[in-house]
Amino acid sequence: MRAPAISIKGRAFGDRVLLALVILLSLVMVAPVLWVIGLSLKENAELMANPNSVFQAPYTLKNYINTIGTSSVFVWVFNSIIVSGGLTLGTLILSSLAGYGFARLNFPGRNVLFVIVLFGLAVPEQAVLVARHQIFSMLNFHNTYHGLILPGLSASFGVFLMTQYFKAIPKELDEAAMLDNAGRFRTFWKILLPLTVPAQATLGIFTFLGAWNDYLWPLISATKKDMYTLTVGMASTQTNFAQSEGIGFLMAQAVFAGAPILIVYLFFQKYIVTAVSGAAVR
Amino acid sequence: MTADIEIRNVSKHFGAMMVLDDLSLSIKAREFIVFLGPSGCGKSTLLRMIAGLETVDTGEIAINNERIDHLPPGKRGIAMVFQSYALYPHMSVRDNMAFGLENIGMPRDVIDARIKESARILEMEHLLERKPGQLSGGQRQRVAIGRAIVKEPKAFLFDEPLSNLDAALRTRTRIELAQLHQRLQSTMIFVTHDQIEAMTLADRIVVMNNRKIEQIGSPMEIYDRPATKFVAGFVGAPAMNFVEATLDRSSRNATARFADGVSVHTEIASNQTIDGKCTFGIRSEDVRIVAAGQGNADGVVDVLERLGERTLVYARLGDGQQIVGSDVGNSRVAVGDKVGLAFDGRKSHLFGETGRAWHAREV
Repeated sequence: MRAPAISIKGRAFGDRVLLALVILLSLVMVAPVLWVIGLSLKENAELMANPNSVFQAPYTLKNYINTIGTSSVFVWVFNSIIVSGGLTLGTLILSSLAGYGFARLNFPGRNVLFVIVLFGLAVPEQAVLVARHQIFSMLNFHNTYHGLILPGLSASFGVFLMTQYFKAIPKELDEAAMLDNAGRFRTFWKILLPLTVPAQATLGIFTFLGAWNDYLWPLISATKKDMYTLTVGMASTQTNFAQSEGIGFLMAQAVFAGAPILIVYLFFQKYIVTAVSGAAVR
Repeated sequence: MTADIEIRNVSKHFGAMMVLDDLSLSIKAREFIVFLGPSGCGKSTLLRMIAGLETVDTGEIAINNERIDHLPPGKRGIAMVFQSYALYPHMSVRDNMAFGLENIGMPRDVIDARIKESARILEMEHLLERKPGQLSGGQRQRVAIGRAIVKEPKAFLFDEPLSNLDAALRTRTRIELAQLHQRLQSTMIFVTHDQIEAMTLADRIVVMNNRKIEQIGSPMEIYDRPATKFVAGFVGAPAMNFVEATLDRSSRNATARFADGVSVHTEIASNQTIDGKCTFGIRSEDVRIVAAGQGNADGVVDVLERLGERTLVYARLGDGQQIVGSDVGNSRVAVGDKVGLAFDGRKSHLFGETGRAWHAREV
């Protein structure tokens, strides 16, 4: 009876060490975020005098009030939501349809086409930027929502991810649906698509995060202030001395910009974990 | 609802590989037919062709004298239970059963009534709101059958539906399937490579091998009078004993002579057989274990398998061939003993070089 008692004690000790390590690692991860929040709650003048004052009261919401008071921020957030939301929705629809097609339909050139899609993963955005800019100029797409959304819709990763997910779903389900008198679209819509929700959530989150944080293309395409996305808009407010003189204000903007993403992540994190661990569908 | 199913000269290729070669088969209404054969013999392909999940290259399939091989699966009036059950994982049991009926626009009250009745038959009323992931293997199996029953199909197709169940559950489900067939009186086609399932469930067994039908017959016909050497070896456990022999056709009944000089007088008419080499076949229960020197041949016991009601004795003949005989449950034979093997000539079989079989007049 003694031996198990000792091993349980040993295990408890091991668990505590593991817990301590996890807490330590969490602190390392969370510290920069806490630092940003701390800075955003301090007066700029106070931070200029002593950056360590972040650890001491008083704290203020003045930086947040100033950020909200800049009327353009709401427009930029709205633009970011439209662009990120539109891009996410479009990517999910197109990737799902393409993924289903590659996984389930037999058509000539399917494999070649899939390889071409995969090549898209290897093409950096910078390589096509100038050409895309020219084309969008000719089409008068700059400073429009579709001009900001369209380039992101060619989502090679999304097509690849959804193809792999659809392939992982047993074909017997399609066959059972055929015997149940369901047509191809009904089978896709009612049987297969609901089974890809974890993949959709993962793809949706990654796409939304990417679009929300995207800076390069909006900087080129959105040249009018009322078409700025949040990233471009925030950058436009920074002066040469903003890093030193307006650090609290900058940090408040950073919190403001990051909050929606954090909320999205909190709601969908289980899907991300499931997808990354590869346990979905099965 | 029930159906006659007629399969006429059906062939199937996958690319250059032929998987079914000119098969013809008539299945009578209310019959329980089992397609039995080793992996790759084409039995599942044939079932899937009846279901409409595979196209027919040549030939035709008809249900109640109406050709159906050009119809999509959902329009053929049949239901299928898959090996993996293929339940929709995100739907409740009720929704799984309702899906097929909703797709043909059946009124909700009729759907509800059918689900209720099927759930009652299969004793799964309490499972209706659960999802497949919350069910055991046996319960999933039941739901898959329930999903088929609610459609009130002309015929049920089962593609190795018991192979994912453990041994005890498989036996129980087998009995339930037999009861279900009696109750529904519907045509059922069941694919398996398990001969016990075939023997216990079938009205008729279709033994398939190498793209063709080897034999069609009742379970006991298949067992007692196998049409070919393949059928004789495939059906029955342990497999039938085969010994290479030459035939002596000088008397009314043929005598098989083994290489080591052992002779067995069969009750197979000499004039049925042909000259030349043949294979002598006999099942283990038709080889009695007797004292050495008192049977047709003597052998040394290699292995004993005690099955309870009988003991299987694996004995090696002088020329090295192994013969499986049968002794009483509490047999006193031990490994290494020299025993006699008495072959029952009335139950012996002969197989020609092409595999064709000859049997005694009455078995």
